[in-house]
Formats: sequence, structure tokens, C-alpha cells
Amino acid sequence: MGRLKTYLWRYWRRYLVGGICLLATATLVMWIPWWIRDAVRIIENGGALRDIRFYAALIGAAAVVQGVVRACSRALIFNAGRDVEYDLRNDLFAHLQKLPLSFYHSQRTGDLMSRVINDISAVRMMLGPGVLNFVNAPLYLVYALVLMLSMDVRMTLAALAPFPLLIFAVAKFRGRILKSSLEVQQQMSALSSHVQENLSGMHVVKAYTQEGFQTRQFIALNEDFQAKSLELARMRGIITPVMQGFNALTVLIVLWYGGIRVIRGDLLVADIVAFVAYLNVLAWPTAAFGWMLSLVERGRAAMKRLEEILKAEPEIASSEKSLPVRGLKQGIEFRDVSFVYGRQNNGHPTLEAINFSLPVGRSVGLVGRIGSGKSTVAQLVPRLFDVSSGEILMDGQDIRKFSLRELRRTLGYVPQDPFLFSTSLRRNLAFGRDEVSDEELARAVRIAKLDRDLEIFPQGVNTIVGERGVTLSGGQKQRATLARALVMDPPVLILDDCLSSVDAQTEAEILQGLRAILKEKTCLIISHRISAVKEADEILVLDEGKIIERGTHEELVNRGGVYADLYQQQQLSEELEQI
Amino acid sequence: MAELSQQEEILGKAYDIRLIQRLWKFIVPYKRLFWMAMLLLPLQQAFGLAQPYLMKIGIDQYIAGRDLKGLQGVGLLFLAAVVGETVTLFFHYYFSMLVAQRCLADLRVAVFSHVQKLPMSYFDRNPVGRLVTRMTTDVDVLQEMFSSGVMTLISDFVMVFWIIGIMFYLHVELALVSLALIPPMAVAINFFRVKARQTYRQIRERIARINAYLAEAISGMGVIQLFAREEKSYREFDKLNSDHREAYHLSNLYEASLYSMVEAAGSVSVALLLWYGGGEVLHGVIGIGTLVAFKEYINRFFVPLRDFSQKYAVMQSAMSSAERIFQLLDTPVTIESPKNALIPKPFRGEVVFDNVWFHYKPDDPVLKGVSFRIEPGEKVAVVGATGAGKTTTIKLLNRFYDIQKGYIKVSGVDVREWDLQALRQHIGVVLQDVFLFSGDVRANLALGDRSISMDRIEKAAQFANADRFIQWLPGTFDAQVRERGSNFSAGQRQLLSLARVLVFQPEILVMDEATSSVDTETELLIQDALDKVMKDRTCLVIAHRLSTIRNADRIIVLHHGVVREMGSHAELMEKRGIYYRLYQLQYEREELKLATYDAAAKIHD
Repeated sequence: MGRLKTYLWRYWRRYLVGGICLLATATLVMWIPWWIRDAVRIIENGGALRDIRFYAALIGAAAVVQGVVRACSRALIFNAGRDVEYDLRNDLFAHLQKLPLSFYHSQRTGDLMSRVINDISAVRMMLGPGVLNFVNAPLYLVYALVLMLSMDVRMTLAALAPFPLLIFAVAKFRGRILKSSLEVQQQMSALSSHVQENLSGMHVVKAYTQEGFQTRQFIALNEDFQAKSLELARMRGIITPVMQGFNALTVLIVLWYGGIRVIRGDLLVADIVAFVAYLNVLAWPTAAFGWMLSLVERGRAAMKRLEEILKAEPEIASSEKSLPVRGLKQGIEFRDVSFVYGRQNNGHPTLEAINFSLPVGRSVGLVGRIGSGKSTVAQLVPRLFDVSSGEILMDGQDIRKFSLRELRRTLGYVPQDPFLFSTSLRRNLAFGRDEVSDEELARAVRIAKLDRDLEIFPQGVNTIVGERGVTLSGGQKQRATLARALVMDPPVLILDDCLSSVDAQTEAEILQGLRAILKEKTCLIISHRISAVKEADEILVLDEGKIIERGTHEELVNRGGVYADLYQQQQLSEELEQI
Repeated sequence: MAELSQQEEILGKAYDIRLIQRLWKFIVPYKRLFWMAMLLLPLQQAFGLAQPYLMKIGIDQYIAGRDLKGLQGVGLLFLAAVVGETVTLFFHYYFSMLVAQRCLADLRVAVFSHVQKLPMSYFDRNPVGRLVTRMTTDVDVLQEMFSSGVMTLISDFVMVFWIIGIMFYLHVELALVSLALIPPMAVAINFFRVKARQTYRQIRERIARINAYLAEAISGMGVIQLFAREEKSYREFDKLNSDHREAYHLSNLYEASLYSMVEAAGSVSVALLLWYGGGEVLHGVIGIGTLVAFKEYINRFFVPLRDFSQKYAVMQSAMSSAERIFQLLDTPVTIESPKNALIPKPFRGEVVFDNVWFHYKPDDPVLKGVSFRIEPGEKVAVVGATGAGKTTTIKLLNRFYDIQKGYIKVSGVDVREWDLQALRQHIGVVLQDVFLFSGDVRANLALGDRSISMDRIEKAAQFANADRFIQWLPGTFDAQVRERGSNFSAGQRQLLSLARVLVFQPEILVMDEATSSVDTETELLIQDALDKVMKDRTCLVIAHRLSTIRNADRIIVLHHGVVREMGSHAELMEKRGIYYRLYQLQYEREELKLATYDAAAKIHD
């Protein structure tokens, strides 16, 4: 809970002022019944109307002041809760940005989202209403108890007689409700898993005409859920009436027992009135006590889960004394690089003893089958993952020595899976830069052959691309991501099979346009198409994480190995396309 | 999660007669319970409103009159009122929850069974997550409407008039004094209520934006990091976050004011009562008890007014949830059995595609006039490059989609005239990505058909070579299958799917062979099982295995949505056309691999 304290400390002034307001509210709330008693005493003893009106005015004034102070206390404390929520959410976001991709591979977006949404709100509930009631409940109880005792000890004891029973019942019930609501949650998740599975396997359900069976299964689960929910409803349903009933019962005791004593002559009606008023004041804090406890419980559990995220180490980060990147002078070199992906190899093949150099102004091509490790090689350069052994050098220095930010801004990495943000195309293209001129944008669009598409788009470059770019075709998305990297104008370009969804004709045109730029840039081109790497200064053929062939296009074709085989295959499928 | 954002969170009216009517249809079966719950409300209110009155009588008549017996009587009455209120309140709540749970369970089933009927094209367009939300979260919101006491809105309104009536009965002048407090309070409450509602709407919009941004940032984290744009996106996020906080600060202020005002009003009314009523009491016109009762009544007067804003918000979200649920229920079922559906008997099992045109998206035809005929018992392999339309072809046969032109006939009857259920029962489907349900192995083979005997299941598993690994599983046929069958290997899943076909014994088998590589031993088991499964069946197979095309009676070559070549392997190879090239491209390699395996096997022998 260390982190929680830090947040609380940050707003201690607000909590303090809020707390003082709470104290002031409680004081006024507690004195009003006392003054009522004084006023009623005057009535009972046949005093002057003027004296009664004095107390009436006092109570009225106290009520108004109390209203204002109470509003302040609530606004201050609830707002402080919101402020912590704001800080916590920002801190989480900042931290999430630092975490490496391997973290995101081990988490599902949905899980992460629900943590951030539900857990943050649980923490906020604890720090807002939770704190307020945590202060209020004991404050009111002690305050009222002292005042009631000072009025009449026996009456107090009689009136509060049902309280231990109430507290016992609430404590007992709370456990059962907690258990029951957990069961409801479990049943709910069983229900939604069934729906989830049914929908994901809909083709099997339909092909084997299992709709009826699936519905019957759903009905059975639904009925279980209903039964559990009703059980919970029954218990929840008891709490409010019982609380109200208890409160009314204490009033009855005061009325009855007090009445007897008034008749006997050792108590005044004024005392009864005051007692009834105190019991009214106490009704809410007692009812809220159990609620407050569960708020704190939930909030702590939520904070613990959030801390798990906040404690996740950003394994890939700039070193403390990071070197600045000053352009690229010599080039990039892979020296005996090996890579083993985390616990499992989630589609990330192991790399072994990769050696090659990419001098400045040159280009290296990487080919290989799916799963040969060619994308992994590309991902190691911008440090999406760190090498397991060996090193990647940039201008003779290990890339881990550079500032991560500057390293990445030197590299224009175009990933295979095109991701666009759901904003305008223009903002997507300019993503890497703070400002970009229309000319620069137009140039990148031209090279990526996106210009023809822009003419068709209703709002041209201002078209909104939709969530993950759904409104664009696969090829359009890939070309847009290429343009996005070109806009950044980095000295190094890493193209990770980024034209796989673009048809061969357009790809050829793009490559044609790129060649002019590639001459000024250092380039690593990964592709499953030979045509993309044909003109590279050196071509590496990867298989099962190892380089099995290397050389220029001509050399490799003449050698008649895997590369030549691939080349032949591709010519065949091109031919097939043409038919 | 991001989809949860814009479209779904926009709040509309809190009361929509059309939606209420539709919801009411679900309540109708439980309307007796519903009315019982409703009738308990005035009873509960009567018990509640009796208490201050009894207090007044107790104080004014019996305590002041020193009548112990009378006090006892009133005390007992008071106790009865307390018990009465407690009991009626409980049963009101319980009955409403009973109605809510029952009718919402019905609603859930209605949605679920409707979704089962929707065509595959619907599932292509709508993400699973969104549909799950309809059946869970949205229905939950409706439940909240019941449990938060929205049903009491009308009765709260009625109670206000009861209270006014009682106050006038007790003392006209004091009633007027108390009511004098009501207009300014009502105005003030209304002011804060409207304000709170506006900020509430703002808050919903802003939190939706935060969550959408967050979801997108999480999915696009790679891009953010690669472009080193962490600071920029942090600034954007901070902006959204602080907008949200700001809206809440305002809303907190309104809510705090509203709450405090109602609390203060109670005390102010006491002051007013003492001020104006004090003299009356002094002159003995009314008793102290009347003052006490008035104070209680005024309290009970303001609380429903205060809670109204919360209930209003709940109604708003409930209406938009209902809207979304009914929208789903209104989605038309486009593929279903026709009115006079046919079940041709006897089932012969030939398949005819005649000039079939099909597109998923207009202007982008996938099949362009495909025609072929498969005789009963014939094995036909479909080959073609990616995107040629192979998978689409097999999905059309059992009417996952309806074609736009031409016709598809099974056993001489157009698939659109068939009884859908019967048609699909005649066609067994094995898809590339074998889908297993969580549950046990047995349930995955028999798919819930209880009439299938264990014997038949075991035989099928044995025949499909699946029993070899099943017998090693803990609990064999009762072994648990995890979600999507993640605890089985790709090869094991394929064997299970073949066993599934054998359990159901369909006359026609449609298959999209898996491309994922499996070890040699499993490969041999699969091939053996395939041979057995395909024997004596009409088969339409998208072939990826060399053995499959070799064993096929006929091969159909699809190219860009058109049947370009047809014939046996030898005939097509001779033609040196598309098939010849495809063969070189896709299957020759496998031939080489098999040759090496054979060679290796020989050495081992």
C-alpha cells in the first residue's frame, strides 16, 4: 500500500480541510438535537415564546451553516478521490508505455482494460466515499454516545440495546453476501464464457445443427445464474428493511421506556424528542458501516492488482548514462546475435549466431519461410526485444548504450501488421513528427503509392480511418504505414515484409519509387517476395533462425540452393497470377 | 473495449414508451408477481407513514396524559407498523427481483436463441465481444433498473401527496409553514438535478473517450514505442483524463450541494416548526408530538426528491441498453428453412453447382459462374491458389451463405428449398481450424446429442485412430478439453474432428484440409483415418495433401473464382496448364519430403 500513501499524501491538505469540515458538520449535527431539547424544555416548563424562538433561530442558523460545511466536506473529499484516480490513471498509462512488447504478448487487451477501468474505480470509491464514511461513522457514534450518555445513562443503554445484535447480524450477513456475490460473479462468467465459445465456434454449431443443444445448455447455465442471483437478492433484500426496522425499534424503545419514565416523572418529553433525533442521526452511519468496510476491502484488492502492473519492470529502457545518437556514420552490425524468446516461443523463433553488417548507405535483404525468424531479426534493431547473447552495434557501439528514444527515432521501422489509429489519415501519417508540411506529406504519399487512393477517399487525407484502420483495405493500410515511416525521414529504414498485402504490380511501382530514396538511406528489407530484395547489396536466407545462404541475387540464383528454389517458385506463382 | 466507446455510451431518453412496451411483454408472464410487488408499495408506505403519527399520539395523548396503558397500546401499534414496514419492504424488493431475474433470464434466452439463427455473414461483421456484451452487461443494466427501485418512482410521487394530506389534517398552519419550505427547495433541487444530469452525460462521454484511447494505445503500443511518441500520447491521454476529472469535480460539487441541502432542510424545518409552532404548543393548541411528527414527515418528503436524479440516470442507461438489445433481436434472420421445406427421400447425395455467383461485398465477386457436378460416392478435390474461392465453395454447400445467382442442388433439390436442419445433418464439415468446445472429449465427439451411445463414440474414435491418445488422457473420454482445445496438439485436434464425422455418419463430407505441419507419425495416422472417413462418402475436399489429390476421383481447379480445369491428376498434369504449375508450386515439394521420409524409414528398417 506504499504507493497509495504517496497519493494520499499528495492531497493531504484537501483531506485535512475535508476532515475539518466533517468534524464541523458532525458538531453542528450533534448540537441541533441538544438545542431542540432546550427549546422543548422551555415549552414543557411554560417559558417565553421569545426563548423558544431564540433556539429556533439558533437551529436554523446551524442548519444553514451545516449545509454549507457538509457540502464542502463532501466535495473536497470526493474530489480528492477523483484526483487520486486521475493521478493513478496517468501513472498507469505512463508506465504501460514503458513496458516492452513481451508484456503485451502475455496479457490480453480485454483483461488489461478491465483492470484499468474497474480497479481504478474501486480504488477511487475507497478514497472518496470510503474515506468519508471511515471518518464519519466512528465520529458520529462517539459524539452521539457521549451526548446521549450525558443526558441520561439508562436511556442510552436501553436505546442502544439492539445495537450489538445489529452489528453481529451485519457482520454475519456481510460474509454471506460476499460469498454469494462471488458465486453470482462466477456464474456470470460461466454464462459469458459459454456465449463467447458458442459465438466463436458458430460455424461448427451451424454445420452440426447444434443450435438447439447449445440453447439448452445456455438455459441451464442461465437458470443456475438466476438461482444464485435470487439467493443474493434475498439476502440483500433483507438488509435494508432490517436496518430500517432496527432503527425504528430503537425509536420505539425510547418512546416506550422514556414514556414510562416521563409518566413517573423522572424524565422530560424534551429528552425523548432529543433521543429520537440522535437515533435518526445515527441511522445512516450504522447502515453505511458495512458498506464502508466492503469499499475498503475492494479498494485494497484493486490497488494490489494495479500495483502488479505498476511493478512490472520496463526491461527495455535507456541505460542511465545513455549516449546521444548523432546520425548514422558507419552502419549497423549484428555480431554473433542469438535470441531466445521468454518462457515460450509464442511464434517467435529462436535466432542463432546471426552475423552481418549493414554499412551506411547500403541495403541488406532478408528472406526465408514463415517462422524462419526474419521478422525477429528486424525487431531486435529498434529493441522491441533485446538480444539474448551477442550484440548489435550502431557505429561500433552496442545499441543498448544509446538513448532508447533517440535510437528508435533514427530507425524507420515499418511493421508487417499495419496498425493505424482511429483518427484522420493525415494525423496517422504525421504520427512521428510534431509538425509536417504539406509537401513532405505529399512526397511520402507519392512514394507509398497512396496518392491514387486519396483521390477516391471522400475527404482525402482528412478521412477518418476508423478503429485500427478498418475502413482501409489491407494494402492501403500497409502503404499508409510505409508513408508514416517515410514522413519521419529517418536515416535507417527497416521494412518488415510491409508490402505483403499489396499486389505485385503496385509493389513493383513502390519499390521503383523507393529505390531513389534507398540510395541515401541505410536499409534492411525483409520480404517473402524475392522481387523486393533482389537489388539489395547483400541477401541473407534464414531458416530455423540460422543464416543458411548469403550473397547477391545473381550469386544465390547461380548457387541453386534454397534461394534459387524460392525464386523459381515465385516466378511460377507470378505466371499463375497472369493466367 | 474500444467499440464500447462512442456509439454505445450515448445516453438518450429516460423513458421511451416503445421500449417499455417491448420490455413489458417479457414481464407479462410474471405479471401476478409484478402486481403483488406493486401492491405492496402503498402498504409499505402506509406502515411507514403511520409511525410518525403514532409517535405524535404517544407523546401528545398518553405521555402528556400520563396514560401508561394507552402508551402500551400505541407502542404495540408502533411495533406492528415497524414489523409491517420491514416485511412489506422485504417482500416488495424480493418480488421485484424475482420478476426482474425471471424476465431478464427469458430475455437472455430470447437473445441467445435469436443469435443462433443469424447467418454467418452477421458474425463476420460483428465482433464476438460486442455480442457477449449484449447478453451480459446490457441485461445487467436492466436488472439495475429493477433493483435500484425505479419501480417506486410512481409510488414515491403518490406518497408526496399523502404526506401533504396528513400534514394538513394535523395542523393547517404548520402544514402551510412546512410547505412554504417546499417550493424553494423544489426549485433548488431541480436546479442541481438538471446540472448534475448535464455533467453526468459529459462524464459518460469523457470516460468513454478515455477508455477508447487507452484500448487503442494498448493495441498500438508497438507503434507508439517505435516512433518514440510516448510523451505525445501521454499528453493526449492527460488531456482526456483531466477533462474527465474536471467534469467530475463539477458533478461532485452539485451532488454534494444537493445532498447537503436536503439534509439541512430537515433541520431548517425544525427551526421553522419551533418558530411558528412553539407558540401554539405553549398555548396548548397542539402537542410537542405534533412537532415531532411534522419533522418526520418533512424528512420523508425530501428523500424521494433527492433520489430522483439517480433513478433518472439509471433509467437513461437502462433505456439505451434495452434499445441495443432489441436492435439485436430485430436483426433479420436471412437464412432459414422456407415455409414448405423439403427433405428429399431417399437421400442420394449428389451435389450440383450450376453457374454459381457469389460475393461477400458487392462489386467484389468471389465466385463467378462456378459449375460442377459430384456424383454420389465420388471424391472430388478442389485446388487453387490462395483467394481462388475454395473455402467459399464449401461454405456455400451447407448454406452458411446464400448465393446471388445460379443454384446449388443437393440430392436434386436447391439448398434454399431444403429443410436447413436436415440439409446440414447430411453434410459433415471438417474445417482447417478445428474448433473444440470446453467440456469433455465425449461431448466434443457427440456434440451434445445424448442419443448417441458411448459404444458408437468409442468405435468412431478407434476407427479414426483417435483412441490411441485418448486412452492416455486422464479419464479417457471424460478428459477435460480446455477452451478452444488448447490442451490438444494440432494433430490430435484433427483426429478428433475426423472421429466427430464418423460419429455423425453424414452422407456428404466437406473438408478443408489443415495446412499446419504435424509430425510424421501423426501425419500417417491422419492419412489413414482420412482414407477410412472418405470411403463410401460423397467428398468435396480442399486438398493440401498430395495423397488426397492422388486418391481423388476428380480434381477441380479453381482460379480467380472460375473453374478452369477439371479431370484426374494424370489428365491435368498432361495438360500442362494451371494445375501443372500449382502442382509444382504446392505439392511437388511434399513429394520430395515424403521420398526422404521413405528413404529414412528404409534405413531404420
